[in-house]
Amino acid sequence: MAKKDVTKPISLDPRGGRPREKCVTYIEGIDRILNGGLPIGNIVLLAGTVGSGKTTLAMEYLINGAKNGETCCYISVTEPSSKMLSNLQTYGFFDDALVKDGRLNIFDLTVINDRLGVERLDGTYSSKDMEALLGAFEDIVDELGVTRLVIDSITAICYQLPDKGSIRNFIFRLSQFLSTFGCTTMLISETVVDSNTQTYSIFGVEEAVADGVILMGNIIRQGDLLRSLQVVKMRGTKHSRARHLIELTPVGLAVVPLLKWGQDGGQAFT
Amino acid sequence: MSIKDTAQSIIKSINGGDTLTSISLSAENFHEDTVKLVSVLVGKKLGGIYVTTSRPSSHIRAELEEAGADLSDLYFVDLVSMTVGGNTSDARTLFIESPTMLESILLNITLLERRLKSKRRFVMFDSVNGLSIYSEPKVLREFINVLGNSMRIKEIYSMLMTVKEQTDEELSSALNLLSDKMIGE
Repeated sequence: MAKKDVTKPISLDPRGGRPREKCVTYIEGIDRILNGGLPIGNIVLLAGTVGSGKTTLAMEYLINGAKNGETCCYISVTEPSSKMLSNLQTYGFFDDALVKDGRLNIFDLTVINDRLGVERLDGTYSSKDMEALLGAFEDIVDELGVTRLVIDSITAICYQLPDKGSIRNFIFRLSQFLSTFGCTTMLISETVVDSNTQTYSIFGVEEAVADGVILMGNIIRQGDLLRSLQVVKMRGTKHSRARHLIELTPVGLAVVPLLKWGQDGGQAFT
Repeated sequence: MSIKDTAQSIIKSINGGDTLTSISLSAENFHEDTVKLVSVLVGKKLGGIYVTTSRPSSHIRAELEEAGADLSDLYFVDLVSMTVGGNTSDARTLFIESPTMLESILLNITLLERRLKSKRRFVMFDSVNGLSIYSEPKVLREFINVLGNSMRIKEIYSMLMTVKEQTDEELSSALNLLSDKMIGE
C-alpha cells in the first residue's frame, strides 16, 4: 500500500497566520483573485470610471448573496430604485423572488433623506444630518439583518459633506458599525481619468479609510474598449494584484487574466 | 501528408494522451481540410468547440452539415460575424465583438465547455493566422501560450491550425515550443 503523502502544503501567504472568514462573492474569478472572497465585515471601495461595470459587479455580489440565503441591501444614491429594478430585469442572473422575499432590498437615499428631513437646499449635510444618516444606515442593517450592503455611490454622498475631514469621519464611522454587524460592504466610487491617470476616488480620502480597493477601468486595445479589474488593497486576505479582464455574460460576470502585452492605451493609477 | 493521414495522426495523438497539437495545412485546401478534420472528430464521438477567426461560423456550420457531420455536441466561438455585420443569432454560437478581444475567446470557451456532453472534448482553433491580422506578434504569442496552457489544464484536446504559407519562423517556433505534437510541418 502506498504511503500517505504527509507533506505540509507550502503556504502561499507570506504572513502565515489564520485566514479570516470570507464572504464568498460567487462570482467566478473574483473569489479566486481574493483567495476565497471578501473578508467578512470589510468595507470595500469599488472604484471605477463610467461604464466599467461597477454597478453590475455590485449587483451580482448582492444577488448571489441573496440566492444563498443572505439578506442584502442596495442603497441607490444617484437613481430611483424603480429604475434600478427595471435595469435588474435585464440581468439573466436576477430573480424577482429575491426582492419579493425580502432577501434583496433596494432603497432610495432621497426617500431616506426625506424621512429623516435631512435634505438641504444647498445640498450640504450638517453634522446633525450626517449623524441621522449614519443612524438610518445602522437601523437598516441591524433591523433587516443585512450581511451584504452596497452604497451606489459613496461619491454622491461625499459631495454633500462639507470637507475632507467629514468624509473621512463619515466613512470611518460607517465602517465601524458595519464591521460590528459583520456586514460586508461595497462603496461605489466614481472616478475619472485625468492625463491617462485614474484615481481611486474624487476626494482622495475614501481609499485610505476603506479596508479594500477594487479598481475597475477601461483599456483601449486597437480602439476597442475592454473592461478591466484589479484588486489594489484588501485587508485580511492575500490576493492577486494582477490586472484582469471582465466581461458580462448571460450567467454573470466572467473574469480572466489580462494579456500583459495587450494594453496599448493602458491607464495608470495613483 | 494527405488529410486522411493528418486525421489519423490527430486520433493517434489524442489516444496517446497529447493535449495540444499544432497543425499546419496548405492554403490551397485549408478550409475544406479543416472541415474534414472536424467531421472526423465528431464522428469519433468527441464533443468540441470550433473557434473561428477567419470565416463566419454560419459558413463553417453549413459546410459541416453538407459533409454530414454530427453537430449535436459542437459549438462555435465566432470572432468574425460581429465585425463584418453578419448573422449573430445562433444558439450554438457565442459571438465576440472584435478580434482584438483575445481574452474573450478564453471566457467563451469556458462557458461553452460546460455545455459539452461528451467526455472527450476538443477545441479547433481556426486559425492562428486569422488573429495575426489584428494582433501584434508578441500579443499573439502570449495569447497562444495562455490558450494552450488553459486548455491543457482543462484537459481539452486543442488543435491550433496554421496556414503553412502564412506562418513565419518565429510563430512556428513559438507553436513548436508549446505543442505536444506538430503535424504538417
